[in-house]
Amino acid sequence: MAEAEHKHPNYVGVWVGLAVLTLLELGVAFLSWPKMTIILILLGLAVWKALLVALYYMHLRFEPNRLRILAVAPLPLAVIMIIAVITEYVW
Amino acid sequence: MAHAHAAMRPPAQAEPGAGVYTEKLGMWVFLGSEVMFFTALIGSYIILRFAHPVAWATPGQILNVPVTAVNTFLLICSSVTMVKAFAAIQEGDQRMLRFWLAATVIIGATFVSVQVFEYLQLAREGFLPSGYVPGSHLAESAETGAAYEGGAPLPHSVGLYGSTFYTMTGFHGFHVTMGVVCLTFVTVKAFRGGYTVQDHRGVEVIGLYWHFVDLVWIILFTIVYLI
Amino acid sequence: MATTAATFDQVSHANVDTRSFLRKYVFSTDHKTIGIQFLILSLFFLAVGGLLAMMMRWQLGFPGQAMPGGGVLPDTMAPGGILLPEFYNALVSMHGTFMVFFAIMPLLVGVFANFLIPLKIGAPDMAFPRLNMASFWIAVPAGLLMMAGFFVEGGAAGAGWTMYVPLSADPEYSGVSAGQTLWCMSIAVLGLSSILGSTNYITTIINLRAPGMGWFRMPLSIWALFITAILTVLAIPILSGAAIMLLFDQTLGTHFFLPAEGGQPLLWQHLFWFFGHPEVYILILPAMGMVSDVIANGSRKPIFGYHSMVFAIMAIGFLGWIVWGHHMFQSGMNPTLGMSFMISTLLIAVPSAIKTFNWLGTMWRGNIRFHVPMLHAIAFVAMFVIGGLSGVFMASTPVDIYIHDTYFIVAHIHYVLFGGSLFAIFAGIVFWYPKMFGRMMSESWGKVHFFLTFVFYNLTFFPMHQLGLGGHMRRIYDPTEYEFLQPLQGMNQFISISAFLLFATQIIFAANFILSWFRGKKVSENPWEDTGLEWTTPSPAPHGNWPTTPTVYQAPYEFSHPQEQTKDFVMQTDKLPTTSPAGGPADR
Repeated sequence: MAEAEHKHPNYVGVWVGLAVLTLLELGVAFLSWPKMTIILILLGLAVWKALLVALYYMHLRFEPNRLRILAVAPLPLAVIMIIAVITEYVW
Repeated sequence: MAHAHAAMRPPAQAEPGAGVYTEKLGMWVFLGSEVMFFTALIGSYIILRFAHPVAWATPGQILNVPVTAVNTFLLICSSVTMVKAFAAIQEGDQRMLRFWLAATVIIGATFVSVQVFEYLQLAREGFLPSGYVPGSHLAESAETGAAYEGGAPLPHSVGLYGSTFYTMTGFHGFHVTMGVVCLTFVTVKAFRGGYTVQDHRGVEVIGLYWHFVDLVWIILFTIVYLI
Repeated sequence: MATTAATFDQVSHANVDTRSFLRKYVFSTDHKTIGIQFLILSLFFLAVGGLLAMMMRWQLGFPGQAMPGGGVLPDTMAPGGILLPEFYNALVSMHGTFMVFFAIMPLLVGVFANFLIPLKIGAPDMAFPRLNMASFWIAVPAGLLMMAGFFVEGGAAGAGWTMYVPLSADPEYSGVSAGQTLWCMSIAVLGLSSILGSTNYITTIINLRAPGMGWFRMPLSIWALFITAILTVLAIPILSGAAIMLLFDQTLGTHFFLPAEGGQPLLWQHLFWFFGHPEVYILILPAMGMVSDVIANGSRKPIFGYHSMVFAIMAIGFLGWIVWGHHMFQSGMNPTLGMSFMISTLLIAVPSAIKTFNWLGTMWRGNIRFHVPMLHAIAFVAMFVIGGLSGVFMASTPVDIYIHDTYFIVAHIHYVLFGGSLFAIFAGIVFWYPKMFGRMMSESWGKVHFFLTFVFYNLTFFPMHQLGLGGHMRRIYDPTEYEFLQPLQGMNQFISISAFLLFATQIIFAANFILSWFRGKKVSENPWEDTGLEWTTPSPAPHGNWPTTPTVYQAPYEFSHPQEQTKDFVMQTDKLPTTSPAGGPADR
C-alpha cells in the first residue's frame, strides 16, 4: 500500500538535523558545566533526535492516530518502572 | 446455520482496523515488545547507576568516544539510505531501490564490525563485562589511584560499568546484525524485481525495524558514552 | 512478501486440501492445528507439573519416609526413595515453573488464542500463519531445555519459580549451576515464542475481523485474549531481559544482581514482578473470557453488562501494571513505594468484582443447562471469588507482613490458578472439543471428573489457608523440624492424601479426552446451540474455516431473543428482520 503523500518529507534535511544535533551533543558532553545541566541537555538532544527519526523516517507524523497511540503505548510503562525503582535509592 | 452454503459471495472488505496494512501493524506491535526489552536493559543501567554511581568512569576515559561518534554518524546515514530506498520504490525506481538497499546493508555491516573491533580493543586494555581484567593496564592504573591519562583517576572497580555497557551495546549489536541479515534478504529480492510501485510492503516493514534500531542507538550513544 | 497475511484467495476452496502429511500435521500453518499442537504439549507439561507436586506432597505429608516408586529416582535425588532437601527445592521450583510457563500459559494462550481468534472473528487464519508455526516450534525446544535441568549435574533450578537472587545467581549458595543456566535459557526462548504469538493475535484481531464484526460485537473470550496479548507483548520482554541478565551474572561474571560489586538483588525482584504481575493477569483474563462465553451459553441469556465486562477487562489489564510491589512488601523496599502499591492493589479488586456480579446476573433467571462446561464455569466463579478474597487480605501490607511466604499465599495462588484458570481450561476444552475434533467428550464421565475434581481440589487447597495463618512457611522441606508446626502436621497429611486423590482423578479426564478422539459421538456444526461464528462451520473446522467471508449481523450472546420464536438463540451471522450489518439500533 503506497503512501498517499505526493511529496515525502525532506529526508536529507532531517539527516542534516541529526548530524548537527550529534555534534552539539559531543560539544556539550565535555563542557565543564554542572553535571545535572549537562545530563538534561544531552537527554533533550537525544530525545529530539529520536523524535526526528520516529516522526519522519518512520513516518509517524503521517500515520493514522490509532497507529501513533499504539507506537507510544509502551513508553509510559517504561517510565513507570524506571522511576518507581529509582525511588528505592533516591528518596 | 448453513449460510455459507448459499451463493458464493466474493470476499468482502474486512472491518476497518488500524488503518494501515497488516504487515506494518504487525511490525509496530513487535517494535513495542522491543521497546520493553530495551527498557529492561537500559532501565536496569539507569537504576544501577543511581544505586551505585561510583562504578562508572567519566565519559571517554575508558570508552572511545570519537570512534563511536563516527560510528553513530554511520548508523544515522544508513537510516537515510534506508528511507531513500523506500522513497525510490514508491516512485517505481527499481535501480535506486537496489542501490540504496545495498548501501544500507554495507553501512550496517560496517557499524557492527566497528563495534566488534571496539570490544576487542576494550578487552585488550582490560575492560570486560565482569569489570577490570586482573593484571591489565586499566586494572593497574585503577589500583594506584593515580590520574589516568592526565584526567581523573579510574574508579576502583567497574563491575557494574562493564556489565551494563556490554549487555546494552551487545544486544543492540545483535539486533543490528539481525537487521542486516533480513535486509540482505530484502536486497536480494529487490535485485530479482520482487518489489513494485503497487506492493513494496517488505521494504517499508524492514525499514521500520532498521529505523528503530537506529533510534535505540541514538539513546544508547548519549546515555552510555556521553553521560 | 515474506509473511503475507492470509487472505481468502489463498486458503479458500475449503473443500480441497492438498497438503502433505508433514505440512498438515507437523509443520502446519493452520491456526487450528497449531492450537491442537499446543494443547498436546501443554497437557503433557500439566501432567509433569502435577507429578512434581505429588512428590512434594509426599515429602510434606510423610517427611523422611520412602516414597512409593521412589526407587526409580537416582541417589542424587532420592537415595532409598527418600527425597533429598536439594531435590525438594528443585521440585518446588520446577512445579511452579512448568505449571505457569508450560502448562497454564500455553493452555490459555497458545491453545485458545490460536484456535478461537480467527474462528470467532471470521478470518480464514491468523495474520501471519508462518510466524504462528514458528511460535509453536520455538516453544518445543524451550520445554526441552527446561526438562533437561533434571538430568544435569547439580539438578534443576531450585530457587523457587521466582528465582530470587543471590540464591539463583551463585552456585555456591544453591549447589545448582547448569540447571539454573538452563532455566534462564529456556525462559528466554519461550519468551520469544510468546512475543511472536502475541504479535500475531493482536494484529489479527485489529485488522482481520469480518464485515460486521465491530469491536463491541466481539465475544468476551476474544476481548480477553486481545488484552492478554497486549500484556504479553509488553511484559514478557522484561522477563527476557531480566533472565538474560541473570544468565550473565551466572556465566559471564557480570554484577547486575550480585551485591559484591554494587549489584542490586532488589532489582531482580522489581524486574521479575514488573513482568510477574501482568503475567498473573495473563493467566486469568483468557479464563474469564471463556467462562463468559460458556455461562451465556449455559444460561441461554446474553451476558449481563457486556460493555462493563469489556471495560473491566481493560481496567484489569491497565491496573495490572502498577501493583507489582505487593509481591515485595517483605523485601525491604521503600515503604512509601509499598504504600502506593497497597492502594493500587486494593483498587484492582473492583473490576474483578464487577465481572463476578455480571456472571451472576447472567445466570439469574436463566434457563440453565448444566452441561459439563457450565459446571466448570460456575465452579470457576465461586473458586475465583475465594481466591480473590484472600487476595484482599494480602493486599493490605500490615496483614501481608504476617502471611507473606506462608501457605496462605499458596492457597491464594492455587485458588486463582487451579480453581480459576484450570477449571476454565477444562470448560474450554470440553466446550470446543467438538470444533477441534468433530466429536463430543463423554458427558457422564465429564460430570464424574468434575465432581470428584471439585471435591478433592477444595479438600487439598482450602486447609492451606489455615496452615498459612498458623505460620507454615512456603518451600520448606520438613515441617516437623519446627516445633510450632508440629500440631499442623495432621493437616499436612490430610492435604497430601487429598492431593493424591485429586491427581488420580485426572486420569478420568485424560481417558475421556483420548478415547473421545476416536469413539466420541460425532456432531454437526453447532452441538451446543451457541451463537458464535465458529459454530457456523463444520465440526471439525476445515482448513480455511469458511468458503467465503461470513458477514456479522448480531451482537454476541443473542440467546432467548424476543424476535426469534423457533429457537432460543440467534447466531451472529443470522439476519433478523430489523438488523443492519454495521450495528444499527437493533443491537442491544
